[in-house]
Amino acid sequence: MKNLRLTKRELKQNVTAYSFIIVSIVTLLVLVYYPMISTVRYSLNRIGIVGYGEEYIGLENYKMLFSQSTFVRAISNTLILSIMGLLTIPVGFLFAVLINSIGNSKLQGFFRVGYYLPNIITGVSVYLIFRVVLMSDGGLLNNFLSLFVGRKVIIGWLADPKFARWGVTIVWVWMNAGYSMLINLSSLQAIPLDIYDAASIDGANALNKLILITIPNMKSCFSFLFITGMINGLARFTDIFIITGNDAYGGAGGTLQTILMYIFQFSFESPNYGVSSAGSMILFVFVLLLTMVNVKLTGFLKDEV
Amino acid sequence: MKNKKRALYLTTIILFIMFLLIVLPLLWAVSLSFDRSAISSLPSFSLIPHKPSLFNYQAAAKMINLPRYFLNTIIVTTVNTCIAVLFALMCGFAFAKLKFIGKRFWYVFMLAVMMVPFESRLVPLFLQYRNWRLLNSWIPLMLGQFAYVYGTFFARSYISSIPDSLAESVYIDGGSEWRVFLSIIIPLSLPVVSTLAILQIISNWNAYLWPLVVISDYDKQMISVGVALFNSNEYATYYGPRLAVAVLSAIPLIAVYLVLQKHIVASVAVSGIKQ
Repeated sequence: MKNLRLTKRELKQNVTAYSFIIVSIVTLLVLVYYPMISTVRYSLNRIGIVGYGEEYIGLENYKMLFSQSTFVRAISNTLILSIMGLLTIPVGFLFAVLINSIGNSKLQGFFRVGYYLPNIITGVSVYLIFRVVLMSDGGLLNNFLSLFVGRKVIIGWLADPKFARWGVTIVWVWMNAGYSMLINLSSLQAIPLDIYDAASIDGANALNKLILITIPNMKSCFSFLFITGMINGLARFTDIFIITGNDAYGGAGGTLQTILMYIFQFSFESPNYGVSSAGSMILFVFVLLLTMVNVKLTGFLKDEV
Repeated sequence: MKNKKRALYLTTIILFIMFLLIVLPLLWAVSLSFDRSAISSLPSFSLIPHKPSLFNYQAAAKMINLPRYFLNTIIVTTVNTCIAVLFALMCGFAFAKLKFIGKRFWYVFMLAVMMVPFESRLVPLFLQYRNWRLLNSWIPLMLGQFAYVYGTFFARSYISSIPDSLAESVYIDGGSEWRVFLSIIIPLSLPVVSTLAILQIISNWNAYLWPLVVISDYDKQMISVGVALFNSNEYATYYGPRLAVAVLSAIPLIAVYLVLQKHIVASVAVSGIKQ
């Protein structure tokens, strides 16, 4: 056993070190860990008005949620929308390959900055603009399609249950493809060039190189974008909420209501904190699982302190 | 060689056309915002306003108090960014350079927070602030900034790479860890400071759900919520004024982007964080 008592010097060292981190630790305890425990507790209770009687009811809230067709629909909506949102990966990859192929120049810098622009624009402005772009009558997208089809196209991109998911996916991809492009591009540029040179000597053409060298080398980039894309997709709220006119029900016959919108509805519109907490727990479990996969893939926690 | 050059031209042209398609909605919105004929129905497509006028902007100025929202958002964003970056650096420094009991535990304690999405503690957090009677103020928007977990992670790995020898002269002069932090670490960490600050500014500027939940007075509200509430209002059925508001509220971040474009693009690529 080593001497467990601290020398005066060590004590001072510890106090100084803790003076750097104590505020952040307390913040996380009070604003993350404690509320998270509260979520678990609330989800197991029937809560009328918080503070005035909570009654332990076990998993009743969860059972209630899963018996509600609206909640099950919200889960499936969220998963479908998240998967559709993954379109940003191939689109971003395509942009990155094209931008990379013009070589390192001023022009490449211009495209990098230009294609990233949609991601930087204040979200709410984008949603306001796309509400008009996706209008069924006179909207930019329908006008554009009419040109190709040769007759007037009237698709309710945000109102018609059959098309609304595509409508919000267009907005999502428009906003996020630039981000995907940046991540793809930096990983493309990390592939050693001599592999390509060797392939050229062996007589490989551009398509061969793309399929046999580039794509296999992008695996970790794709999986990173896949996981983070799914995590962002699961917590999707703001864009759909605003674009459907601050409506937690989601519009378009409920095809756009995500889990978080459902939680919002039962927290702030018709409060039932027990139910909304159970919903939050379900969201948490989904995200936790995906994050653990992500940690495993990226080795985030691996490096030693 | 000639083929290669032709391919280069072709790719460039394709990239230009796609770029134009991407920004087309924005250009159209700007054109509509200056068009007097964009009222309750949309005029036919044109990038030049049919009836150019500033009417939409004047109308918007009467309908929504944008300067107030801008001011609120600028204040909160500035305060939050300063707090978040400072505390991220402090924690990053402690985890990178100092020895203390429980270091590994607290590091994992912080990083584990990344697995808890903010949304899953929205409800209890809201109720907590309600018990503290702090709703409808900026305090709930600010307190969380005292722990910036992603920032801590990046600051730690950056500060680890600063050689210890630089700090030794301060220790020899009898200086404390805080002296080292303030006079050596902060000045040498400016690249990471600017990266984190950029990410913080963008995310604060776009914050929506949390301000929507905690702030109920219109004149205390942030820009995103203010504009979205305006958008769902009945008198926003006129397209022109609505798009004028959209254009105005997009300007500040676009201006920042145009000035800091290279920094921003690099920050995002390095950190992998979108907002």
